[in-house]
Amino acid sequence: MEHEKPENVEEQFVQMFAGHERDLRAFVRSMGLDWNAADDVMQTVSLVMWRKWHEFDVDTDFMKWARVITRFEVLKYRRKMARDRHVFREDVMELLAGVAEELGASSSSEDYRDALQACLKSLPEKSGGLIRAAYAGDRTIREVADDIGQSAPAFYKTLNRIREKLRHCVQQRLGAMS
Amino acid sequence: MDNDRLNELALAHLDGRISDSDFAELQQLLESEAGARTRYAEMARLDAELRESGGAVDEPAREKSPQLSSWSRMPRVAQALVIAAAILVLLIPTWMLIWPARPGGGEFPETTGSPRSVPVRSIAVISAEADAVWIADGEKRFGKGTALEPGKLSLIRGLAQIDFFSGASVTLEGPAEIELRSSDLAILHSGRVRADVPPAARGFEIQTADVRLEDLGTSFGVSAGADGKAEIVVFDGEVRAIDRSGDAVSLFAGDAAHLAGGKSSKAVAADIEAFAGIAAVIEKSGGVDETRYASWKASASERRNDSRLIAYYDFEGLTDATRPLPNRAIGGTGGELDGGIVGARVTQGRWPGKTALDFRGEGDRVRFNIPGEFDAITLYAWVRIDALDRELNSLFLTDHYDAGEFHWQLSSLGALHFSTSPVGVPPPPPGQSQATGKQVEAHNRWFWSEEFWDIRQSGQWFLLATTVSGSARGSVTHYINGQRVGFSGGTNMDQPLPKMRIGGADLGNWTDPIWPDSSAIRSLNGRIDEFAIYSAALSANEIRKIYEQGRP
Repeated sequence: MEHEKPENVEEQFVQMFAGHERDLRAFVRSMGLDWNAADDVMQTVSLVMWRKWHEFDVDTDFMKWARVITRFEVLKYRRKMARDRHVFREDVMELLAGVAEELGASSSSEDYRDALQACLKSLPEKSGGLIRAAYAGDRTIREVADDIGQSAPAFYKTLNRIREKLRHCVQQRLGAMS
Repeated sequence: MDNDRLNELALAHLDGRISDSDFAELQQLLESEAGARTRYAEMARLDAELRESGGAVDEPAREKSPQLSSWSRMPRVAQALVIAAAILVLLIPTWMLIWPARPGGGEFPETTGSPRSVPVRSIAVISAEADAVWIADGEKRFGKGTALEPGKLSLIRGLAQIDFFSGASVTLEGPAEIELRSSDLAILHSGRVRADVPPAARGFEIQTADVRLEDLGTSFGVSAGADGKAEIVVFDGEVRAIDRSGDAVSLFAGDAAHLAGGKSSKAVAADIEAFAGIAAVIEKSGGVDETRYASWKASASERRNDSRLIAYYDFEGLTDATRPLPNRAIGGTGGELDGGIVGARVTQGRWPGKTALDFRGEGDRVRFNIPGEFDAITLYAWVRIDALDRELNSLFLTDHYDAGEFHWQLSSLGALHFSTSPVGVPPPPPGQSQATGKQVEAHNRWFWSEEFWDIRQSGQWFLLATTVSGSARGSVTHYINGQRVGFSGGTNMDQPLPKMRIGGADLGNWTDPIWPDSSAIRSLNGRIDEFAIYSAALSANEIRKIYEQGRP
């Protein structure tokens, strides 16, 4: 990273954290937590990282360091959670974390976003519009579905197809499809 | 692994709308299958990125390290961190109090105001008939193969089977009146039907005047009387019956229910016999098959004489003891180019009596060794795709991917894909054990066809053909069922192509893959019953003729 010399240690930390928060949040989601739980965990993670910041060697891989902390905090959070519905067992979370680490390590977030941008551009206009409606708007899925005259389950089906297309396209660009 | 199902489960979970039983199924899959975990993690990353970016395409892809001034673009926790830093609150627990609420989302005004005009299009097809008599609808004549748009249908007598594009299939017994609403909704006004709903079409609904039957992957029968009374019998699986008052009853295999006056009550399954006739339906097109098979045989034996053939495999007369797959091309090196059948079992091809190979296991393949160098090539195969389980599914792949070798395969999205490279796999960068995807991509010539296949076409036979001509400029053409199709993507498509080489190669699989990971597994799930390689690019007319002479 070629950022200007941070003036103080807080600023340095904030820059690092801000630059990777998105990736870490995606990492937490890959272990199967919902968005609210992911927010909770991210708050704790930021705290823990701040406390341990003096241990971090700025010449090493930040994400590698951050993932170790995050993974640990997710599992800790999971143990504390009331027996919530639809949260994976710990062993399954561990397995998912392993996969997510590999995915994160094999393609940088810049490469990933480049690929996703290209794939979003290649979508038919209508599909792109539906993705934006689902992800960017402040409307619920049901409202969006109503607008285009579909039932919610039918709209999810459509949305799933587009998302599979995007996933495939991104992996295709990142990886090996010869 | 059923990837459609897996996607459905993973996304339902990520969206926070999964049911208890689906959750259990998902967890089980994630625990037992590495491929399922990879897909879940890929979907989660995609979902997270889409959520962060709102799916916008104008976002600068390569963000520099964040500017503290660009507040609004900064992630949420980071905003809080900045607040914290600014007011120099180093007693961190108080941060919790000033966390900003999650914003509702971005500001993209377009998208949802689009007009509702949906072009009328087919949602189903009549797939079989026995002595069916329809009430004609204007000019339109009904018969096997008729595509059906949303609307009412009246069957006076006989039996007819309607396949919905969702994958559900409904057999009607006349007299019956049914209204097709969409590929997963039909309204039965009167008469008797049996519905068969494969997992892919879960959620298919039949409504009568008083009840909605939501199918949870099963088969069931319904009869509706003009008086609003209805009888339901479940043969297999589970159906949810929701009556007018909104009460839902789950019915399982062997259950029956009786509906009158808007109320449902469970009944004894006495009426199953009445639906048995429907179940036994319709085996009448034998005569047509024989004629088609015979005419294909005649054209195939003529094709063998074509001097442009490198090799031709008609898959005729195979038995379980057959190991060589004989090359039937008359010219050339003949028996040298016989294939070796590994694992794939002999099964039925396009017509009864015609043999084919069934590719199912991860190891199933036919091995070839075809020497030579070619300026132009045509590949065609008659293929019945059962599912596209892998990211890439092999049709014909040369071993590894050396200079001038090519891969002919199907993507999980249902596109035909041809790739070749003048370089193949370059040497890995210093300090690494294998070349990167980017290195390979730099020289690749990729040609992805439009997407033509999805699970609704499972079990149908397709003629897949690709012609590659001239080494000067890339000229690759894909054909599906004799029709030229466009491209959905590619790389270096206008660059010159190398001279083509084959050498060691597999039908239906990949030997000596470049990549060690899961994308190396490309075994086909389906059948092949004819395959040809030419040392020339056939014309569009020739491809169309092959289709006409061979269609099932």
